[in-house]
Amino acid sequence: MLSSLKKRDSRTVPFTREKIARAVFRAAQSQGGSDYAMAEDIAARVSAELEIRYPDEAAGMPDVEEVQDLVEKTLIELGHARTAKAYILYRNERTRVRERKTRLMRTMRDLTFKDASESDLKRENANIDGDTAMGTMLKYGSEASKQFYEMYMLKPEHSQAHKDGDIHIHDLDFFSLTTTCCQIDIKKLFEGGFNTGHGFLREPESIQSYSALACIALQSNQNDQHGGQSIPNFEYGMARGVAKSFISKLALVLDIRGYDAAPVRAALRAWLKEHESILGEEGMLFVRETLACRLPEMSAAEAENAVDKALELTEKDTYQAMEALVHNLNTMHSRAGAQIPFSSINYGTDTSPEGRMVIRNVLLATEAGLGNGETPIFPIHIFKVKEGVNYRKGEPNYDLFRLACRVSARRLFPNFSFIDAPFNKVYYRAGHPETEIAYMGCRTRVIGNAHDPGREIVNGRGNLSFTSLNLPRLGILARGDVDAFFPSLDDRISLVFDQLLERLETQSVKKVRNYPFLMGQGIWIDSDKLGPDDEVREVLKHGTLTIGFIGLAECLKALIGQHHGESEAAQELGKRIIRHIRDRADEKMRETGLNFSVIATPAEGLSGRFVRLDQERFGVIPGVTDREYYTNSFHIPVYFPISAYDKIRLEAPYHAMTNGGHITYVEVDGDPSRNIDAFEDIIRAMKEMGVGYGSINHPVDRDPVCGYTGIINDVCPRCGRHEGEGIPLEKWRRLKGYAKDYRSPDERASAGDVTPNITL
Amino acid sequence: MYAEHIPAKGSAPVLEQKPVQMVGEGVGFERIRRITGYLVGTVDRFNNGKRAEERDRVKHCSMGC
Repeated sequence: MLSSLKKRDSRTVPFTREKIARAVFRAAQSQGGSDYAMAEDIAARVSAELEIRYPDEAAGMPDVEEVQDLVEKTLIELGHARTAKAYILYRNERTRVRERKTRLMRTMRDLTFKDASESDLKRENANIDGDTAMGTMLKYGSEASKQFYEMYMLKPEHSQAHKDGDIHIHDLDFFSLTTTCCQIDIKKLFEGGFNTGHGFLREPESIQSYSALACIALQSNQNDQHGGQSIPNFEYGMARGVAKSFISKLALVLDIRGYDAAPVRAALRAWLKEHESILGEEGMLFVRETLACRLPEMSAAEAENAVDKALELTEKDTYQAMEALVHNLNTMHSRAGAQIPFSSINYGTDTSPEGRMVIRNVLLATEAGLGNGETPIFPIHIFKVKEGVNYRKGEPNYDLFRLACRVSARRLFPNFSFIDAPFNKVYYRAGHPETEIAYMGCRTRVIGNAHDPGREIVNGRGNLSFTSLNLPRLGILARGDVDAFFPSLDDRISLVFDQLLERLETQSVKKVRNYPFLMGQGIWIDSDKLGPDDEVREVLKHGTLTIGFIGLAECLKALIGQHHGESEAAQELGKRIIRHIRDRADEKMRETGLNFSVIATPAEGLSGRFVRLDQERFGVIPGVTDREYYTNSFHIPVYFPISAYDKIRLEAPYHAMTNGGHITYVEVDGDPSRNIDAFEDIIRAMKEMGVGYGSINHPVDRDPVCGYTGIINDVCPRCGRHEGEGIPLEKWRRLKGYAKDYRSPDERASAGDVTPNITL
Repeated sequence: MYAEHIPAKGSAPVLEQKPVQMVGEGVGFERIRRITGYLVGTVDRFNNGKRAEERDRVKHCSMGC
């Protein structure tokens, strides 16, 4: 008598005839059958056959596959064709489900047992430490949800196109959960205080609290969205904190000097309620009048001295507040500790003394670096360049633009955005910071508004989701035929639009309470008009739906043998291709009233994936698939020798077309901090040629042993060690003095250390 | 990390050069780079495609310019 059966995972389970009968009956039922006796008959025949094959224990036992094969065969032999078919379908479906499970389990196994150094998956996002407990936990969730969405939520054609690498759906792991990013209006947020979802915070009363709360706002919002967070009006938002700190400091000084500070403080606070600035001309006049009138026993000279002292203390506090902000944004956790918030701050145009103090000090704090002089990774700083404000000598914030150049030459940030670029300038209205272009993270741009043309502003808005095209593949498939290229490009664009709209629907049915900070605290535009159980559908329409692209250079190479750095003809074709994508997005925007836009994809996690798939499919094509990455968006390939000027000139026209975001980089050799004029010239060239957003890359190395920051080739210029070598303790002690350098420049020079220390 | 050499009691004093104490052995340099818009503290965390891209970069301008 047959008693056991081997399962796929090699476990042995009892054999029952009943189980076979039930499976056959279910198959028959699905075809409208109801004859259980027939099912039992089949089961009996299968058992009988198995008894013959396995007469005793010595003959072993059948496995599941064999039993199922036998069931199929018996059904067909007895003429139950439809039931047999249903049974086979059912079997195939089960196999598929099993395979899915194994694929997921394989992924989980790799995540569990492989280090980030061996697992590309764990290094997909360079700012997440894949080796930590929470980093791995995040990856489990991310990989599992991606596979779930691919199988159950995406339309099969979208899922297939994503899997095949025709398109890339970014942040797929968050597909059904949330939207990408938001430009937080920090000024509005602070008015009256806010709730993080875990507790209420009062309106801050000093610059230090303002800066701490700005960090908390970025952190809280980061947990409601999957992309980066940006503050578009950083100095405007912080300025009030400076004014409040000044009042407190003045009161403190008066107090120490034995005057009754209370009435002065009350008068100044009341004044600040009615005015934007107190350190401006009008404000300072009022301060002096108040001192004279409330403290008549105080001499004018003494009053002046008290004001100066208060200003000095306010400046110090502002520096400390900005230092704290930079430190916090490099250490505070988001996403269960796996990463720090991806944060950006935009500033540069506020000409009030308070705003200027904020800009100056946030730059200086960044220049000084973190605790051991490390270069801060976050926030991304974006300095807004504007003619008449900070672009030319003599303009009110020109000194800050110069300082921004100096800091960027040393620390890689700030990047520079250009309000005067024609496509940015159309939105600009003087005196309305919300109409000044801002950028988020590595390049996202949101300002135009088809849904509500009355509100073409940056505040409270962001990207909903974006999906990128694999341009090189379309180029390869067209086999050099440009006319064949455009129709296939059109098909892909339509596919992406369809996919973006499908995703929008899953995002739209979410409720305000799903986003306690983003929507619950009114960060997202108009969400303050909704209740906790309202759908976010309407307010999401202010966001952008964005199509991106990778590898314009390789696409051109495949189509006509040259990329846009190599010939003007290629540049013309390149412009035609991107213009076409933009035209389609504009057309879709008019048709739907939604903000369809085009982004020059940053390629995070994607730079290697498309090319790997295309190498497998088409082999190695010189200039197209022969490297481990496709070139970022519309960039001239990184390996192509070209002058800074030409690179900027060739990339600038694409900035005008990519209304969802763009950036141009120039790679610079040597230490730009020794030649700020040359650095500024490159930034000015970007502005003059119509770039919207740009930055300069240069090597920033650091020796953690002696603390030197600058360029290190093979040998550290300060302590003279090679990588991995030690230095004598005595020498190290001497060098560590550099952190607080008390020597004169001459002494430093004679010691062979040419790097000046940071002076504040 | 380092202990002064103390001769054992009763034994003859050993003539031995005092070892130079070293710091920083095995410590590499940090190389901060911008890739896809974000700064990263070390290229170790880049995925393979990004590492290759960083390796291939050529300069557009020298700061002597």
